Amino acid sequence: MSGAAPGDVLSPDALEARLRAIGAERYHHRHPFNVRMHEGRLTRDEVRTWALNRYYYQTRIPVKDSLIVSKAGDAAFRREWVQRIHDHDGEREGDGGLALWLRLAEAVGCDAAEVERQEHVLPGVRRACDAYVELVQTSDLLTSVAASLTEMFAGDIMAVRIAAFEKHYPWVEAGGLAYFRSRTQQAPRDAAWGLRYVREHATDATSQARAAAALERKCDILWSLLDAVERACARPRLAPHAQLRFDSALERWLCVLPERAVALGGSGRDILERCTGDETSEAIARALAARPGAGPHARDEVHDFLEQMARHGVLRFLPAGAARAGEAATARPLAADTGARAPDGPATDGCPHAGAEPAAGASRTARRDGPQ
Amino acid sequence: MTAPRPFNLVAELSYRCPLRCPYCSNPLDHASVRDGLDADDWTRAFREAAELGVVHVGLTGGEPSVRRDLEPIVAGGAAAGLFTHLVTAGLPLDPERLARLQALGLRSVQLSLQDAAPEASDRIAGTACFDAKLAIARAARRLDMPLVLNVVLHRDNLDHLEAIIALARELDAERLELANVQFHGWARHNRDALLPTRAQLDTAARLVARERRRPGPDGSGGGRPELVYVLPDHWSERPKPCMGGWGRKTIVIAPDGLVQPCHEARSLPGIELWNLRERPLRACWEDAPGMRAFRGEDWMREPCRSCPERARDFGGCRCQAFALQGDAAATDPACALAPGRDRMLALREAASRSGWHYRGDPTAR
Repeated sequence: MSGAAPGDVLSPDALEARLRAIGAERYHHRHPFNVRMHEGRLTRDEVRTWALNRYYYQTRIPVKDSLIVSKAGDAAFRREWVQRIHDHDGEREGDGGLALWLRLAEAVGCDAAEVERQEHVLPGVRRACDAYVELVQTSDLLTSVAASLTEMFAGDIMAVRIAAFEKHYPWVEAGGLAYFRSRTQQAPRDAAWGLRYVREHATDATSQARAAAALERKCDILWSLLDAVERACARPRLAPHAQLRFDSALERWLCVLPERAVALGGSGRDILERCTGDETSEAIARALAARPGAGPHARDEVHDFLEQMARHGVLRFLPAGAARAGEAATARPLAADTGARAPDGPATDGCPHAGAEPAAGASRTARRDGPQ
Repeated sequence: MTAPRPFNLVAELSYRCPLRCPYCSNPLDHASVRDGLDADDWTRAFREAAELGVVHVGLTGGEPSVRRDLEPIVAGGAAAGLFTHLVTAGLPLDPERLARLQALGLRSVQLSLQDAAPEASDRIAGTACFDAKLAIARAARRLDMPLVLNVVLHRDNLDHLEAIIALARELDAERLELANVQFHGWARHNRDALLPTRAQLDTAARLVARERRRPGPDGSGGGRPELVYVLPDHWSERPKPCMGGWGRKTIVIAPDGLVQPCHEARSLPGIELWNLRERPLRACWEDAPGMRAFRGEDWMREPCRSCPERARDFGGCRCQAFALQGDAAATDPACALAPGRDRMLALREAASRSGWHYRGDPTAR
């Protein structure tokens, strides 16, 4: 990180270096899920879950690009940028990036119609993608273009991915990889154009800082998308230190943690009791959603609850394919088990499973300083 | 008012400590306070605390691991159903003993660090201890116990904050508490030498904001460790909700069995607190005159009495009010509205003297 203090104006080269450093540090090529994908260690279930969910991201891209076009007063800009919409939507039904993604989804074993309906998109993925559209919606043109500069890093990741799929996932029909191939061409072209624009237009410290922040935010969004996918396929297990106990005065179950406690409501305790490292998050979510009396959004609520608990450090997630619960100690817990990188602040309201504010008064002690 | 339900118990097992930090918050006369409770007494205290509604017990000191009977004490906390947490300086604890304590029911560890580098850290602690601390931090993570690090910040280590945060990240801490020094106990002795400068605090606040957004080694983990950054009172506008309110959430039991609302209440004049060796914990918590003295709002005067913030900060710290105003019922001068606030503001100018006095006696008994 260059750590430029506000007030320093960077040269275009220094700005580009700063943006590239952000990618090197935060782009999702380093996400454990992508690392495992490229090492050939994803299960089929994980590949499918990823393809289904990532489709939702693909659908948001042309929406985002339309918003960007709508912000541009310059015809040359629009002419260039509208090409991206065509790339994704195609010139006619059945071609373009979206259609290619559906082919990929089919090739990995998804039902294309189900993918297209977007019913089973994970709530964390939906939030991440919607946050991207909202970022563009509420930002100026320059910031929006800067957010799209993750494309600078996309070309490389696509090349790695094609090689990885050919080598490690021979069960995926080769034609399914057409999307990746198309992006190895488009992403560098788009990135070069976007980068030139940002270099030319981010000429003061404020706009440069905004551009860098937008790119960081975009990286975080991509990261949290994979967090959600990885968590859904992983098997949550209650952290050994977490203490589940019934509080007779509050008439609530508490999950007690270092210096705080979370009051559980509704089915929160039922969910945590199933977190034994044996079942995936998705399996737990579907099982609870199938219970009599479960609401229409029960599956999503379980996923949200698990994400919230992960953020509190309550859960360890054993990656799909890792050792079973008994051998848990040797399994590398996911980075996500600390609740890294949720796109929004702790979403505690509206989840029927947890009144996630610490139980009244049970939050941290007001210890003044060290033990000495 | 009737006594509220306490949620936390701070069990000060002993004021003995191998460290000699110049900002120690133990009372100045700590050497005269004996370890008056044995493991059975503590176990009774934990059971009675659980009956009162306590959820967490923090085993602290001084240094709790100077107690040879820490094992049965931990087991007593676990048997009472309390979430049992160890607040340690890292020695004379050792990794094997930590593993034994975990097997007996210890769930998490808070470890103090004095600075990021061995020499600087040992210099503040007044004894060689840095390596022992790191060994405990690593052992805790190997045992999959959540690790909270606590670093008291002051003029001598504030400039090393970036390295401190990097160390916490390397040690895989769940939380890093960065508490600017407060002037209780021994720290009052060294106030002028410890006071941070405004420039240091401004730099630190910027650094913390930046570090909160920084990803972890694999690009993940913005937000780990959670950074808790506490401004010193003389740069704040509002008082801190000391202990979450006097006699409201937290019971502190001193090594000699005195049941207190905070670490230092016994040093206030005219405060009658009761001892666990003489009465049940419930009586000590609910009925001791000193415990009731500042419970609730009836004791408050203006500007607290009519202040909309009173339900949030409970009038601040009684001990600080006494230290600076000479009146424990006065508004904490950490509050911008307090009469006598000028005494607090004077601290902003006082960051001048250097050199400190180590806490008196490293292993006194």
